[in-house]
Amino acid sequence: MLNLSKLFSIVGLACIVLQVNSIGDEIDFDKQIKPILDSRCAECHGSASREGGLRFTSRDDAMVELDSGKFAIVAGDPLVGSLVSRISSRDPGEMMPPDGKRLTRSEIELIVKWIGEGAKWSKSSESKHWSYVAPVRPVVPAIEDSAQLRNEVDYFVAKKLASQGLKLSGDAPIAQMLRRVSLALTGLPPEVEVVKAFLRNPSEEKFEQFVDDCFDSPAYGERWATPWFDAARYADSNGYQADQIRESWAYRDWVIRSINQDQPFDQFTIEQLAGDLLPNATEDQRIATGFHRTVTCNVEAGVHPEENRVNQVFDRVNTTGTVFLGTTLECCQCHNHKYDPFSQEEYFRLFSFFNNTPVEVKLTSGVSYDFYGPKMDLSVDEKTKLKRDSLIDELAKLKQEKERIGLAAREKLDDLKSKLASEVQNQITWTPLQILNFSTASGEAHRVLDDQSVLVGGLLPGTSRYTVDVSNELSLVTAVRIEALTHEELPGTGPGRGDVERPNFILSEFVVSAGSSLTAEVDEFEVIPLDESFADYSQKNWEVRKAIDGDQKTGWAIGQQFFKDHWAAFRFKAPLKLTNSNGRMRFLLDQNYGRGRTIGRFRLLATADDVSTLGVSDEIRNILKLEKLNAGQQKKLDEFLSKGQPELLKLQSRISVVEKKLEALKPPTTLVMQEMDKPRETFKLTRGDYLSPGKKVKAGVPAVLHSWNKELPDNRLGLAKWMVDPKNPLLARVAVNRWWASYFGRGLMASGEDFGTQSEPASHPMLLDWLAVELMESGWSRKHIHKLIVMSSTFRQTSQSNGDLNSRDPENVLLSRGPRFRMPAEMIRDNALAISGLLSTKMGGPPVMPFQPDNIWRTVGRNGPKWNAAKDEDRFRRGVYVIWRRAAPYPSFVNFDAPDRAACVIERPRSNTPLQALTLLNDQAFVEMAVALASTVVSRFEGAGELRTQLAYAMQRCVARVPESDEVDVLQQLYEVELSRLTQDRAAVDGLLRNNKAVSGNSIAELTLSERNHLAALSVVCNVLLNLDETINY
Amino acid sequence: MWLHKNQRTSQDLTLTRRHLFQKLGGVGGLALASLFRETGLGLSASPADPLLLSQAKIDTAQCHFPPRAKNVIYIHMVGAPSHLDLFDYKPELQKRNGQLCPDEFFQGKQLAFIRQQPSLLGTPSKKEFEFSRCGQSGIRISNLLPHLQQVADEITFNRGTYTDQFNHAPAQMMMLSGFQRFGRPSIGAWTSYGLGSENKNLPSFVVLVTGQVLGAGNSAWGSGFLPTVHQGVEFRSKGDPVLFLSNPKGIEAESRKRTVDAINKLNQRQLLNLQDPEIATRIDQYELAYRMQSSVPELMEIESETKQTHEMYGTSPGKSSFANNCLLARRLVERGVRFVQLFDQGWDMHNSVTDRLPTKCKQVDRPIAALIKDLKQRGLLDETLVIWSSEFGRTPMGQGDVKAKNVGRDHHREAFTTWMAGGGVKKGFVYGKSDELGYGIVEDPMHVHDFNATIMHLLGIDHEQLTFKYQGRPYRLTDIGGVVADKIIA
Repeated sequence: MLNLSKLFSIVGLACIVLQVNSIGDEIDFDKQIKPILDSRCAECHGSASREGGLRFTSRDDAMVELDSGKFAIVAGDPLVGSLVSRISSRDPGEMMPPDGKRLTRSEIELIVKWIGEGAKWSKSSESKHWSYVAPVRPVVPAIEDSAQLRNEVDYFVAKKLASQGLKLSGDAPIAQMLRRVSLALTGLPPEVEVVKAFLRNPSEEKFEQFVDDCFDSPAYGERWATPWFDAARYADSNGYQADQIRESWAYRDWVIRSINQDQPFDQFTIEQLAGDLLPNATEDQRIATGFHRTVTCNVEAGVHPEENRVNQVFDRVNTTGTVFLGTTLECCQCHNHKYDPFSQEEYFRLFSFFNNTPVEVKLTSGVSYDFYGPKMDLSVDEKTKLKRDSLIDELAKLKQEKERIGLAAREKLDDLKSKLASEVQNQITWTPLQILNFSTASGEAHRVLDDQSVLVGGLLPGTSRYTVDVSNELSLVTAVRIEALTHEELPGTGPGRGDVERPNFILSEFVVSAGSSLTAEVDEFEVIPLDESFADYSQKNWEVRKAIDGDQKTGWAIGQQFFKDHWAAFRFKAPLKLTNSNGRMRFLLDQNYGRGRTIGRFRLLATADDVSTLGVSDEIRNILKLEKLNAGQQKKLDEFLSKGQPELLKLQSRISVVEKKLEALKPPTTLVMQEMDKPRETFKLTRGDYLSPGKKVKAGVPAVLHSWNKELPDNRLGLAKWMVDPKNPLLARVAVNRWWASYFGRGLMASGEDFGTQSEPASHPMLLDWLAVELMESGWSRKHIHKLIVMSSTFRQTSQSNGDLNSRDPENVLLSRGPRFRMPAEMIRDNALAISGLLSTKMGGPPVMPFQPDNIWRTVGRNGPKWNAAKDEDRFRRGVYVIWRRAAPYPSFVNFDAPDRAACVIERPRSNTPLQALTLLNDQAFVEMAVALASTVVSRFEGAGELRTQLAYAMQRCVARVPESDEVDVLQQLYEVELSRLTQDRAAVDGLLRNNKAVSGNSIAELTLSERNHLAALSVVCNVLLNLDETINY
Repeated sequence: MWLHKNQRTSQDLTLTRRHLFQKLGGVGGLALASLFRETGLGLSASPADPLLLSQAKIDTAQCHFPPRAKNVIYIHMVGAPSHLDLFDYKPELQKRNGQLCPDEFFQGKQLAFIRQQPSLLGTPSKKEFEFSRCGQSGIRISNLLPHLQQVADEITFNRGTYTDQFNHAPAQMMMLSGFQRFGRPSIGAWTSYGLGSENKNLPSFVVLVTGQVLGAGNSAWGSGFLPTVHQGVEFRSKGDPVLFLSNPKGIEAESRKRTVDAINKLNQRQLLNLQDPEIATRIDQYELAYRMQSSVPELMEIESETKQTHEMYGTSPGKSSFANNCLLARRLVERGVRFVQLFDQGWDMHNSVTDRLPTKCKQVDRPIAALIKDLKQRGLLDETLVIWSSEFGRTPMGQGDVKAKNVGRDHHREAFTTWMAGGGVKKGFVYGKSDELGYGIVEDPMHVHDFNATIMHLLGIDHEQLTFKYQGRPYRLTDIGGVVADKIIA
């Protein structure tokens, strides 16, 4: 309904629109419009706030679709967009601004005219945030006193320092510098001998050689992969409730390989985003797409697979934004970005690129969901391949053979299925047999009850045979049945006789014979072959079939299920036709177990119905209802069908053997991206809700960034190529900044994950741009940029600070001294392993399980393998190979700020907590390393060598420099007190050394007592050394 | 603006914890003071006596509001108990037991397991399931919780709680961190971040778990993008109570003291040489670690409690039980631990709800009531907020055949009951109302964000002001929602 004020405003509006033509010259945006927007609208619709999705920071922003789905401005048509009606409305719920001074009539007229003229914006008002403009190589600043400077990096840094009246600190002492470079590049400390050799004759050339050696070491890739894995949220499990382990370590190995080979960063980017779409994609290029298969996946019962898929695509879009564009796109899932120039529609245009991979959650049975998505087999070596091929051949032949003789089985299957279908309607009718005569071998008393059951009582012999003659009114018998029944006169109500508490019976043999008439003599009777037996229940090891196996020692029993009725049925191999009705049958019930385990009450019945489905167990019935069978179900069915066909059984067991062999040779797999044949349509999801699709959108990239080349394909590959376009203002900057942060503990942009309008300005913007351009122009060489950094004087400065620097440059933003910060979690482990001499340099392959305390690896989820701490060299592999389970990450890593890898992390926090102290002091893994370090020292000096020399050498392994004498004093003091303690405490020595195996190739057990005491005391000292702040900093 | 005016201050002080303060938004001054205290840096406000610390009062001038609670004991029932059979009495549902549920309960709704139009399931009409009116307030509580009935007059029941998620892991994250996804700080971490710790020798956020760990895993008490000092530290009942707490074989306390001294001597030397304040922090952390080696085992040692206390809680020292955790929770807040969170697994009753519920209730009823009584008699209840929550509630419709013995209830996000006691909430009060069948809310709805905003408010924190900038945007516990439920505040 139109209220009065609204009516007035519309009439008024029309008047304004009619009048505006009379206002003279074309509107000058800067002079006439911008002041109005700035003073009246900007508070809610400016750079700091974007109410309703609208803001007037640029023409694009002002014209974008609002959160409501409307548009504020439609160029050329003032009455279509909502802006003019809102500013002229008097309805308190409508009018803009909602409070404060209203716009004057002439101001409204200006806006109407401006929109009518096309809502032009001036160029100067559209200046973009710096990071959305492609970097141009800045001129390297001139520095007067440049003696100390080594490369361009230093000039930019020195310039900034000079502006604050500071300059670069001098070089760090050589040993520390080599240690810093080695750890920064390879994550491992330099060898003591290498440092010594260097110190004998230091030179710039030798330094460069040392640096190059680090770049050539495969350890370089292992060290630099770790920060990438945080960004790529790489883990070995699915996350969420189930958190199953999944195989994608080939992607991990690919990243390490790629970094070691210095694959150009643009190619590195393309292959991870869209390697699968490259023409003739290689195996490696497909493996690389594991980057976006690392997302978490929820397979909790009750999950909605489509919701899970949409969440995964959100994660892919957001991670792509953060990792490659330093941009937080997540806000735009639900509305236009509040601060940065990205709209919700643009978000879903990006979403569209990732919207074409299959669902990764599948309902597998009942309410149970499974992880399910494209994966590929990894190639295997030639020998394995040949072996596999021949096994595959063999399997094919065996299956063919099975097929041939299995025809009969299949017919049986079809027949069975149709019989099962009709069985429901046709219940089997059992007719009780009339007792003619009952006798027992041991003289028990008996009574025939009205229902034709026989109740046995009186004397209780150990064993017995019941002979039962019955008359039969059926002309055809297909099966007979014996019911073992309870009765109040029986001990414990039966059905057995032997025991009040356990009234079991054992039916050792059950034999049926028949004669064709009532008058036939018993000795004319023929034993009727029985081919199948069934029972409602059989005691374990006393299955019903044992009652007809001809063996008197075995039989059918019903243990544990006492006090209940039971039955067993036996099928005739061929239906028994009786020409005369009233034929007779004789049943022999042998019960030979002893101790009176005989039947107390039983009844015999027969049927003429088709009983061919009688033996089909519930399990088989359920299998037959399934559309698709898994291996186990197929096997069960095969076994069932091949009953009575021994050759088929044999064949089946051969097939199983071959399949097992093949399974053992199965190539490992890895998760990859794969486009569906038919792409999905993409819709803007209202408030990000997957159940509320709005407008349909096409794939595309944000307008504020560089433009899309029309030649590019409309898919992920196009996006990847767009990403690495040298015109991209963000990619190179974001990459070099992340590397810089790893070297200096802080990026040139402090917020490595956000280069948007709300980020703190860069500390050295020119240097950032210079490095970004240098990266692109060097052919995107990571190693080139890294080398520039480590060769610079800036990186080589001493990290010694003083009160003045601490107060003027507390966070070392200006780089007035060398970097110094605590190592990341994995490096703490790797460094200590290397120092101790335990480190394994084995690369790649499935993840490893080193030592960790009990009760961590909780099987919250499914498919969790047990944590079996490796006893071989896998116990001492680098941290990058340790299995990463999202719900239970490696605890010592967690204590040192490793993320759970559920989501993309660009910068780990660097905390300093008591839990870290406890980890290094007490974690069995670090204690083993301390003992190993002591062993390494002892081995080095072969038991000889002065104590102080040994202590100094141990410390040098940790910190690279030669320790000062007062430092060795501290160690020696501790050693001596500990030695005297340990000398008196044999158990403590054994306790300390228990997990360590060898010293100089001799087992610890072979050492003399004093050697063992020395080793133990030295181990305590090494425990101290591995805990030093200097040891875990670089 | 999210940049707090206190941020300046923090940057001036970055000398010591430079990373930590890089992005500090927070309550600022208060958090800072606590952090320094907690890490024992040589700043002026560093009382060395832990006793003194545990008695320290929150400096109210530093909070956004005068705090009503100082500490929190937060009990989270993993899997979601059937609130309809415990706290939200529905005679109409009992009356219509067995009838097909109204179409609107099923059509177009997302249910985790139910796939066919289900029937209504009333609470069994048996004595043990009856709801009794309790205390002065006359609030109805199920007879399954006879001990809790005795403390009904201390509690505010929020019968109109609701959430957005209906699967366990996302709903747990929603409830405990305000976001359905992983990687956001948990409520305990936010509290620690905002208020810091009061005990130098213990972490500010401690977690105790019975049964399996919940689906959301460690993230449920993670620190997300907040500094990791704020993450919950799990005190375990098996093995070391805190990971790596005990000395390795062959090293005893004296020897450990010598090694820590040697480490700190060498670090001290390095500090003088390099003047990097992080080294000073590390020295303090080694001292704290050493102190924790005795303070934590002392804390876990519940044998020292009186026989009467053990009887009240139903505790048995040396075993792992929910009762033991309740007693530990009291010991922790007594020692100034800011946020204690108890998780108890086993409430996800898709089947046999009437069989299994009494068993679970027996495990938790006595100790929870004992905890409330014990806190009260020690004068701690006024400053300790005790919370009961779950990730969602359970459907008024049965899952499976409602006539069968093994009928259960499915996940239900649209209305469930949480409760709070002590710490400034009303005593013997009911807030919110669900409809006569317990499906939706008809009065005073309380979204998870409102629930969390209210908890923060009781602690003296404005949930909109306690923010942390991450990836270019200020984040808070309540995302973009949250209205404080003023009506439940005493």
